[in-house]
Amino acid sequence: MPFPMRSFETMPRADVVVIGAGLAGLACAAELAESGARVFLAAKGMATTHWTHGGLDVAAPAGSLTPRVGVRVLAAEAGHPYARVHAEVDGAVEAHRARLGRVGHLLVGSLDSPHTPIPTALGSLRPASILPSAQAAAAAPWADDGLLLIGFAGFRDAWPAYAARNLGAVEWPGGPRRISHAEVVLPGLERLKNLNARSLAVLFDDGAWRAEALGAIRRAVPPGAWRIGLPAVLGIADHARAHADVEEATGHRAFEIPSLPPSVPGVRLFDALRRTILDSGGRVQVGFDVVDVERNGQRIVAVHTEAAARTLRLAADAFVLATGGIGGTGIRGNPDGSLHERVFGLPVEAPPRAAWFSDDPLTPHPLESVGIRVDAELHPLDPAGQVAYENVRVIGSALAGMHYLEQRCGDGVALASAHRAARSLATERLAA
Amino acid sequence: MTLAAEVDVVVIGGGATGAGVLRDLSMRGLRATLVERGDFASGTSGRYHGLLHSGARYVESDPVSARHCMEENAVLRRIAPGTIEPTGGYFVATPDDPDDYLERFAAACAAAGIEAEPIPLEALFRAEPLLNREIRAAYRVPDAALEPWELVDATLASAREHGAEAHRYRPVVGFERGADGAITAVHTRDARTGETGTIACRAVISAAGAWAGQVAELAGARLKMSPGKGSMLILNRRLTSSVVNRLAPPGDGDILVPVHTVCILGTTDITIDDPDDARVTPDEVDALLADGERLVPGLSGARILRAYSGSRPLYDAAEIEEAAHHEESREISRAHHVIDHRARDGVGGLWSIVGGKLTTYRLMARDVVDAVAAALGNEAPCRTGDEVLPAPAGSSPYWLGDRLAAVEAEGGGDADLVCECELVTRRRLAAALDERADSSLDDLRRTTRLGMGPCQGAFCIPRAAAMLDERRADGRLDPAAPDPNPALRSFAAERFRGTRPIAWGDQLTELWLGAGIMRGTMAADALPDAVVRNDAAG
Repeated sequence: MPFPMRSFETMPRADVVVIGAGLAGLACAAELAESGARVFLAAKGMATTHWTHGGLDVAAPAGSLTPRVGVRVLAAEAGHPYARVHAEVDGAVEAHRARLGRVGHLLVGSLDSPHTPIPTALGSLRPASILPSAQAAAAAPWADDGLLLIGFAGFRDAWPAYAARNLGAVEWPGGPRRISHAEVVLPGLERLKNLNARSLAVLFDDGAWRAEALGAIRRAVPPGAWRIGLPAVLGIADHARAHADVEEATGHRAFEIPSLPPSVPGVRLFDALRRTILDSGGRVQVGFDVVDVERNGQRIVAVHTEAAARTLRLAADAFVLATGGIGGTGIRGNPDGSLHERVFGLPVEAPPRAAWFSDDPLTPHPLESVGIRVDAELHPLDPAGQVAYENVRVIGSALAGMHYLEQRCGDGVALASAHRAARSLATERLAA
Repeated sequence: MTLAAEVDVVVIGGGATGAGVLRDLSMRGLRATLVERGDFASGTSGRYHGLLHSGARYVESDPVSARHCMEENAVLRRIAPGTIEPTGGYFVATPDDPDDYLERFAAACAAAGIEAEPIPLEALFRAEPLLNREIRAAYRVPDAALEPWELVDATLASAREHGAEAHRYRPVVGFERGADGAITAVHTRDARTGETGTIACRAVISAAGAWAGQVAELAGARLKMSPGKGSMLILNRRLTSSVVNRLAPPGDGDILVPVHTVCILGTTDITIDDPDDARVTPDEVDALLADGERLVPGLSGARILRAYSGSRPLYDAAEIEEAAHHEESREISRAHHVIDHRARDGVGGLWSIVGGKLTTYRLMARDVVDAVAAALGNEAPCRTGDEVLPAPAGSSPYWLGDRLAAVEAEGGGDADLVCECELVTRRRLAAALDERADSSLDDLRRTTRLGMGPCQGAFCIPRAAAMLDERRADGRLDPAAPDPNPALRSFAAERFRGTRPIAWGDQLTELWLGAGIMRGTMAADALPDAVVRNDAAG
């Protein structure tokens, strides 16, 4: 196709260009890089990792006791991404765990860990099985220890009193017998009000400041046996140490509770995966929006990305579309009720605009399950059901057929589809 | 708040008109109590486009209404300057607007005495660079932006200063009538506690607007209203700095009003049966955008924050004619009308005030209070046009820049923001809750603009709910105030109602991110029905 006459730089040819830096894109790029492929990951901006809770939601449809059962239930749904990639879940989760472990980011729990209710920042409960170590204590069985929720004065995104009262009112089988809350004044923050989670987390990375803060936290803990829930702000670079320090200083187990964005657990996850890609020789560029595509029949030849003041041409043998769904802006809704996929213009089926939503915002909406339809190898399909581009794979929330909020399956689908795409591309490379 | 046992007049309806009636009554020395079924200004008054009419809009189609608007425009600038942003307005002729209207408009304005100054196109485009370059002619008129919530607040505050009472969340559930059929008392119920109360009175004024038919029916009278649904869109920034009207007979998508930090594109007009039917249909949205494009090309690509609609208090035309047979006055204004139900329906002591514009709320109040005061033997003159209203609490009208300066002054550069989009501080919310300890989150929105920005509450809803909860635990909330959890749910639902008709592009993505927070991370759908009253802490 003709493209505008403008100057661009051509980057060294890659084996695979991955577009999108959410969990799916990062995991896929990491695996490809580990297998020796030259990988270039280009993303328009920070992805939804920075918005979400940082746990690993594999599958928790109603009635499923474990993620493994949840995957089985969802795989039986026609058109669900797990119908294509359920066999990858085990390998994908373990590869992810091992990859993160190499950079000190530990995951607790497995596909066979029961879905356990853990407290949210509002004081409701959500099911979780696989959590980063900083959140894991929330899912451990409760014995004689009470739950102590701690907030920080001036940090507007933790509401320990409200959450404690809600947790006292909610049905919590096997939950703690006592729930209390406390507010801690952190050193030097008396006058700072507009703190977000990330700015607090940066402070927790500072060892000297942290020691002082831990003193204040320790003094706020009443006598007795407690498990402490804190805002998810305990460090970014040094988070494992910060978490251990809290437990050591207070003498109690502690867990983080994620709240409003920016999500520090998500930032850590992004940083960890990015590092594994770089460590394996891949490239990651955020702020590289795809503005043009070169096609040759059923193949994508190159994409052009626009960064600060220049256009880069990224040519590759294969492309992985990991740009997310509506939330990640991979799929855009139009006023006429149609939807379009932003990078390659892949077809997206949509219900009429009047039927996009249900009445209650806190329930599933018909529009949530829209996305790209794919074949078993995750090639995108055209409206006739034929492969649209033979060197493109689609992974993560761009895939059609799931209600990821209701089914709590977004992370598992991201990893499993990334794993399938990476393996399929590696096989092709070997064959070539 | 306790309800007065006996007053001269009960006013039904807490929109601008009811508030104006209450103020007028109290300034004439009549004892009066106002009851409103929801929050003040939560019906038609709070759901309008924010335009203080110059009168030019109706100069051709409805000269009486135009004259009222022109006169009251001047009055409101005098008595309520703190609620008005004197933006000025333009009437512009797009290529789609009829030539003959242009000529008739100029002549009609001249005849009516409405200032309409022809503006060279070059000056127009310099002032409003986004306007359609194919506009052929333009007139400058004294339109302005008017903040309805502040206006109603200030009017009620003035009425209270003169000894009146106003109660919100107090629907009327029945009337008591004497041997002669005249109303002697009004039964009300507290919508939150269910407690009932009775107010003995000598007269009742129904200022229930589009709901006036329902009130009349409850009293055994008849009044056929014909509510007109008007839908509007809120665009996320000011595309123009003045009001812009199309030089055409009133129609859809014909007006753009800069209000605070946003602008409002209005307005459809669809006759509906139920004034509570506030759904905005995709067809209305499409029609508004298509017409708005004629004013500002590319407008439909701008980010739309919300769609909403109000119910115009229009009444059935046949009603006016019938009323005319029973009354002295031969001058029937289509603008607004006072109905004495004694003459017509045999229900003494009940007057309805229907029709009209927010711009003319004071005049409407004067006319109905003139009739009622005469019947009660009160001869005091109307003084509502002479006395200036108390200034609104916040800086209003405001630009975000204004509010930013206040926020910086408050916090030394670091004030505690609960709503980042609209720069609403914790202190501002606390003051609003101090003033009205029975507020829901939606009530706080009307007072402070909480949740009215691009994220439509995704961030501030949980923060504000926690704040409500904290104050309730401390005993600083009225027991009638809604529990924080239902408040959170209903506020989320209310914000969603306005977003879904225009959810595409960035706003759709924003909705998804909000859902990810509320349902994913927060599991707000799994909150208990109510927060435990007693702190579980040991």
